[in-house]
Amino acid sequence: MKTTLPVITGIGSVTAYGPLAGLIPTKSLVASLEPRDITAWSTPGLRRAFLVEPFRPASIVPGLKTRRLDSLSAWALVASSLALRDANIDLGPVDRSRIAVFFATGFGCVELTLAFYQSAAANGWAGTDPIIFPETLHNAPASHVALFHDLRGPNVTISSKNFAAESALLQAASMLRHGQADLAIVLAGDTLTQAVYEWYEVAQLLAPACFNQEPLSSAPGFVPSEGVVAIVLESADRQAARPYATLGAGRWAAGGDALAGVRKLLGDPQPCLIICGSDGAPCAFRPLTCSARKLVGEGATIYPAQPVAAGMGEAGALFHLLLALSRRPASGQALLLGTSALGGYAALRLELF
Amino acid sequence: MIDAQKTIVVTGIGVVSPYGAGLSSLQAGILAGQCCLKSASDLYPGFQGTVAAVDALPSMTEVHRYSRTDRLAMAAASDSIVDFTGPGSILRESGIVMASTVAGLTEIDPEISVGPSEWYQHGGLSRAASYPASRVAASVGEHLGILGPACTVSVACASGAMAIALAANMLLDDAAPMVLAGGSDTLCPFTLSGFNSLQALDPEPCRPFDQNRKGLNIGEGAAVLVLETLDHATRRDARILAVLRGWAMTNDAFHPTAPHKDGFGLALCIQRALEMASCGIEEVGYVNAHGTGTSLNDIAETHAYESAFHGRSHPVPVSSTKSYFGHCLGAAGALEAAITIMAMQSGALLPTLRLENPIESPMIDWLRGELRRQPLPVAMSVSAGFGGSNTALVFGSHRA
Repeated sequence: MKTTLPVITGIGSVTAYGPLAGLIPTKSLVASLEPRDITAWSTPGLRRAFLVEPFRPASIVPGLKTRRLDSLSAWALVASSLALRDANIDLGPVDRSRIAVFFATGFGCVELTLAFYQSAAANGWAGTDPIIFPETLHNAPASHVALFHDLRGPNVTISSKNFAAESALLQAASMLRHGQADLAIVLAGDTLTQAVYEWYEVAQLLAPACFNQEPLSSAPGFVPSEGVVAIVLESADRQAARPYATLGAGRWAAGGDALAGVRKLLGDPQPCLIICGSDGAPCAFRPLTCSARKLVGEGATIYPAQPVAAGMGEAGALFHLLLALSRRPASGQALLLGTSALGGYAALRLELF
Repeated sequence: MIDAQKTIVVTGIGVVSPYGAGLSSLQAGILAGQCCLKSASDLYPGFQGTVAAVDALPSMTEVHRYSRTDRLAMAAASDSIVDFTGPGSILRESGIVMASTVAGLTEIDPEISVGPSEWYQHGGLSRAASYPASRVAASVGEHLGILGPACTVSVACASGAMAIALAANMLLDDAAPMVLAGGSDTLCPFTLSGFNSLQALDPEPCRPFDQNRKGLNIGEGAAVLVLETLDHATRRDARILAVLRGWAMTNDAFHPTAPHKDGFGLALCIQRALEMASCGIEEVGYVNAHGTGTSLNDIAETHAYESAFHGRSHPVPVSSTKSYFGHCLGAAGALEAAITIMAMQSGALLPTLRLENPIESPMIDWLRGELRRQPLPVAMSVSAGFGGSNTALVFGSHRA
């Protein structure tokens, strides 16, 4: 099948659903995913989040060595490998200098950043750990992906207030359209550390479900989550083995009137599915769903934002896309629509297969 | 025939550097051969080294909300649009692509790792808000009332140049009428300590490309370029400073920190940027190099130039302006892009300071000693960084 737009041909993920190649199994989606108790931190009181269950990366990707890496880099390596496996791509004959890596993150390698601060707290700034320092850089996960798969094309790490994943998707698609790469692996993710969790907690951003065993509710606040989602994006002139969707036009903006910008993308035919994403609190879900309904009327299906993906913040859009595709929507035009309590919007047109 | 809708031009440059605020102070300092590197010992207990600092930031309100990196970015971005003329809606809908590696690390203390809650409750909460890298671009937007697409690129020392390349792609996609693209980074104990632990710092002023080089010096600063299509710039009668003729990005995929010793990735990057610019190797009049002064970078970079410019009839002129005010990390690529354009406008081949015994290479004309004057219709800026990323930008002069 040939199209003129970049095509999503592979998905890999490491999330609260575990490490997966392709879509999330229906049986996992049907079962209600509840936050897990956090046991790694020796602090009083119950704390919960959507955590990635510990696993051995080499059991998923044979030969993968992650001993010196933080979780974000390890998960990026696993997710990218699973996405390539799902896309059924043999990298052997491919010109690796034409493969780009894009990585979207809100906090970057925060585990090792804190470890570096720990070494400074213990030994003073003059006694910090030289092994850790390079791994604190935001681009460490993307560079490990390049190193492991020998990918010598553009290697970009992006943060964008609320819309890092959307920004990475749009930039990757742009690069393919302009012939600067033939294939891109787009990843989005973050890890949860005690310092990040307590930041949310002290700022009073967390949902009640973070502190008791009650099910999720529509109460204000969000439940933090973590993980990495990777997709393989191929240029139009490559034969797509098993396409999930084509990526069409997109827009994203830091602020302003969300709907005015999104309307420019609706065009003809109108999307029959809106996939809503949000960067955090469930209290932002309802306005976004209402906005989506205003855009497309009653005729379209709307998938509301999901707490497990919204808790991933800036990097949550790819997770929302994975969740929506895993629900096996009918083929046709769709819109991935994100917004934030802080204003602004991101929207990408998709054609689903 | 030039396609004005696909030609990207630079119509504004804003700079905050150790020379002071504005491109003119940077230009005056560099053309005079003035070195801003100074001995410092107060950046953290035990630190002894050479750095270049921005002594005074332009005043602005509500500074408590912003990190020092944000404030440098905001000041450079303001400077970049000083001469902007046109409807306010253009600016409002513009995009922002900033680069940073330090970002809000300047605001975080080691105590956060000991007791996060306590640190937040004792004043850390508001400071932590400026930690995410995305804040750098968002701060510029808030400061200038820009509501278009905004993101921060964080690709180690290649970030600043990469921000410019990605912004150019956004313009080709018509994602915004203009994009403010650049980088900002500041001196902070975290990075100084990190580079010191790697034994990558030269305690004396650095000597890029010298056989006796001993490492890099860290500097700080910010630069922002205003990019738009030639068509858009012409319609609003903007003054065109340069044409961004080509850009490319590659990765070495070789080592987490070291560049490939033969400079393969960087050479490919340069070749692709020249190809995009439809520019032959003979046409490049000056290369503003990455030139950090570290043993590994400078030899890899030398090999990259030898490979990329192989077959050229005369040696390619190369210099590193990090010898003037150090390595500004995520801002370096943007500052050096600004310097490259300034060199073209001034017709000046800028020498590397303190370059006494250059790495031997018959194919490279190592610029040193006196500043050389000659017309520069095409010049190039090259960046590389930890993680193996490379970026090359090809600038050309604009003939109206």
